[in-house]
Amino acid sequence: MTFQKIVWKMAKYHYKKYLFYFLCNSAAVLFIFVFMTLYLNEYIVSVKQIEGLVYVLSIPGAALIMFTIFFISYAHQIFMKKRRSEFGLFMTLGMTNRDIAKLLLLENSVIGLVALIVGLGSGVIISRLIFWLLLKSVDITDFAFQLNVNMFTYTVGAFFIVFIISIGQSLYMTMSRNIIDNVKTEKITENTAHKHPAIGGIGVAIVVGSIVGLYVTYTDSDGGEYLLLWALGTFLGLYIALNQLTSFLIGLIKKNKHFYYRKLLYLTSLDYKYKQFTTIMTIVTIMIMVTLLYSTIVYHLYKETEKEVVEQNPYDIGYISTDSKNNLSAEELDRIFAEYGNPIREHLTFPIYFHFQEDYDGYTYQLALMPLSVFNEFSDNPYLVQPNELIYHLNHEVTGEIESLYYRNDLRFSSNGEEVIYETTQVIAEKHFNYLGDLFILHDADLADYKENINGMDATLHLIHVENWQESEAAVLALEHAFHDYNAKTPLLDVDHVPLEEELFYIDSRVDGYESTMNANGISFFVTIFFSILFFIGSFLLLYIQLFSEVDKEEQRIQKLYRIGITSKEVRKLISQEITTLFMLPTLLGLIIALLYIIAMAQDIGGIVENPLMLVRFFMLAGIYFVILTVFMNFARKKMFRDLVDFK
Amino acid sequence: MSVLEARNIVKVYGKAEAEGATTALNGIQLSVTKGEFLAIMGPSGSGKTTLLNILSGIDKPTSGEVLLGGVMLHDMDANSLAQFRRKQLGFVFQDFNLLDSLTVKENIMLPMILEKKSVSEMEEKVQELAGLFEIEDILHKYPYHISGGQQQRTAVSRALVNDPQIIYADEPTGNLDSKSSTTIMECLEKVVKELSTTVLLVTHDVFAASYCQRIVFIRDGAIHSSLEKKSERTKFLDEVMEHLTLLGGN
Repeated sequence: MTFQKIVWKMAKYHYKKYLFYFLCNSAAVLFIFVFMTLYLNEYIVSVKQIEGLVYVLSIPGAALIMFTIFFISYAHQIFMKKRRSEFGLFMTLGMTNRDIAKLLLLENSVIGLVALIVGLGSGVIISRLIFWLLLKSVDITDFAFQLNVNMFTYTVGAFFIVFIISIGQSLYMTMSRNIIDNVKTEKITENTAHKHPAIGGIGVAIVVGSIVGLYVTYTDSDGGEYLLLWALGTFLGLYIALNQLTSFLIGLIKKNKHFYYRKLLYLTSLDYKYKQFTTIMTIVTIMIMVTLLYSTIVYHLYKETEKEVVEQNPYDIGYISTDSKNNLSAEELDRIFAEYGNPIREHLTFPIYFHFQEDYDGYTYQLALMPLSVFNEFSDNPYLVQPNELIYHLNHEVTGEIESLYYRNDLRFSSNGEEVIYETTQVIAEKHFNYLGDLFILHDADLADYKENINGMDATLHLIHVENWQESEAAVLALEHAFHDYNAKTPLLDVDHVPLEEELFYIDSRVDGYESTMNANGISFFVTIFFSILFFIGSFLLLYIQLFSEVDKEEQRIQKLYRIGITSKEVRKLISQEITTLFMLPTLLGLIIALLYIIAMAQDIGGIVENPLMLVRFFMLAGIYFVILTVFMNFARKKMFRDLVDFK
Repeated sequence: MSVLEARNIVKVYGKAEAEGATTALNGIQLSVTKGEFLAIMGPSGSGKTTLLNILSGIDKPTSGEVLLGGVMLHDMDANSLAQFRRKQLGFVFQDFNLLDSLTVKENIMLPMILEKKSVSEMEEKVQELAGLFEIEDILHKYPYHISGGQQQRTAVSRALVNDPQIIYADEPTGNLDSKSSTTIMECLEKVVKELSTTVLLVTHDVFAASYCQRIVFIRDGAIHSSLEKKSERTKFLDEVMEHLTLLGGN
């Protein structure tokens, strides 16, 4: 029998170690690939450029990359810890460093290659499945699962880099250690350096400080700039706190001897495990926190689409007409809407004067002006404007104090060699009209003057309410067609710098706004849920590996306990308590931090008290998360019972 | 008065009638009286450890019965047996069997903790045993920070903590140097003399066996002979050596 044959025989005997390592690597490849199928999906790529999707993708994307790197190197470390003692044995029998390096490279290459194939294969299936499930549940059109070469090359590249670094590190460690250290690898205890409750206190202080910081700064649209910074602070603090947590708590519990002794096995075992798995617990906590935080925010946005659209479009339909454009009679309008079973409930019209200017860059912008008498008819409170003054109507809401955003938008023009100025004396920041952007409200006489001096276009703003806006899509489309046909028959407008007709005479409707917002929010929702699923599986995998990588040691411990007379029932209880803590502690911590983040981040939309539905949605998602986690936890518990108790 | 009684113990691995079945124990009869210090000796593969496992209820005999303090061991279900073991029996193992995550003090207390004894009772008992075996100074250390001899004395203390009827010691000196072996055997001797606890030792270490009052020799799963100490230890040691030579070496 050759030495190679002995090595092969040993490998066959320890196939579980290889299987575990292989499965971890396959899972890592699967993860990267599933992420790539989303990130490099052509539609997502195009949406990323225009929507705020980069924001949705950035933090979870970075977290996922960190997770994958950690996952591969962690699986490798576990594998190598077991292998290194065997290498030590081979070395005592005369195997050289070169032989060890060859063996290590060979077995890792084979495992890596097969894991890559299996990971990619299962990645295609899993990704397709997730896409299928999510697209079924989210109402998004023109978005589909697709595969392209980049997805495969990026996955292979990313996996290859992390894998090679891990192997390099192991090679270095195996070669640089002496034989005895290698043989004893499994017996080397991992202790935490710098153990002091004060350090844990600092960690907690950093977590609290970063959340308070976020709460204080996240008050306007600029708050997001510091989000990543505060999040990094929280993660760092969390790591430090978790690192010291159990030692600190056990120190406290020890003061109550009765309780401490009653829970001795559970507490000491937890302390030992925590020392070893602080990094994993931190990562799992972060993943749970990010998952819950993002899914709540995006789910909330998704669900608030209707409210948002109603706020953005005070009327169901808005458009402008002139004598020659969009000028359908009231009867014709009634007929179109009646035909679709959605009759007009209210139809308001306002005269508006438009004129168009070109700036230095050749960009055309429009000014819309309304006489004060017309606006006062519409408004509940009559406004007063003196000659040569104007009201600047923002036609959208502004958070914060309006004085701080006082827009000085005086109008000026020359008349008979004299400069005429209309000075802004009031600002109205409310959404009143569909279709329009900013609006200048002038004294009636001033507007007449203005029209005489400035070439522009007299138009009518139409604001319509129908019976049921949610069902108005077909009627709006029919109206669009009717306008199109009408406008095609009439001559082009003769106004200075007038933009293209379709830029002026479109219909601004709630139903279209709803559709497009729903689509945009739907994609964010889709992406976030996609991440949540990945993160969920990832955190479960980490916890699972954490438990089962040390199952040999656990078995020895249980054996020892059996020998001194512990009952199976007591062992079950012990295992159950430990597993529950390992699963639930990061979940609870992640949940609490996510909740605090949501409270802090709700500051820019008026605080959490103003948005109680956000809390309701958070607890709903957290509940779902909890239920699924409990199912997974029970699975892990049963497996642990099978491995450690039932075989007795 | 007999504390342990083994009646016609047979242990066969594999199906009795089938080919390849191995008879590990074949009709062992044994009676141990209260306060006795007994050693079971025999060559490797003679069935020593199998016998110990059966006598302690860890393993079941193919036939025969074991009575411990008048209780039939193998009539009990697994849970009652486990509870019986931790209340009535103490164990000392070759590999010490201490939990690394617990301090010496906590390791000693563990059987009492499982029994939900009060804190004061546990503390008192630990102090008493630590004093007896001179390990007071290391009570707050962890097993990997103390010597093999100290670990074994911790294990002996743990075995005694619930005032068991009998202590089973399986090669307790197997992992120790001669100095530590002496200390441990003196400890076990103390257990018998000062606490009147019965000790049953399984060993192939002649030196360790010489501390016992009686030695039962087994060979090929059956009791071959026995020796009783009638003289001082060193003389008894010579007798045991002589007996082993007659037996065919160890």
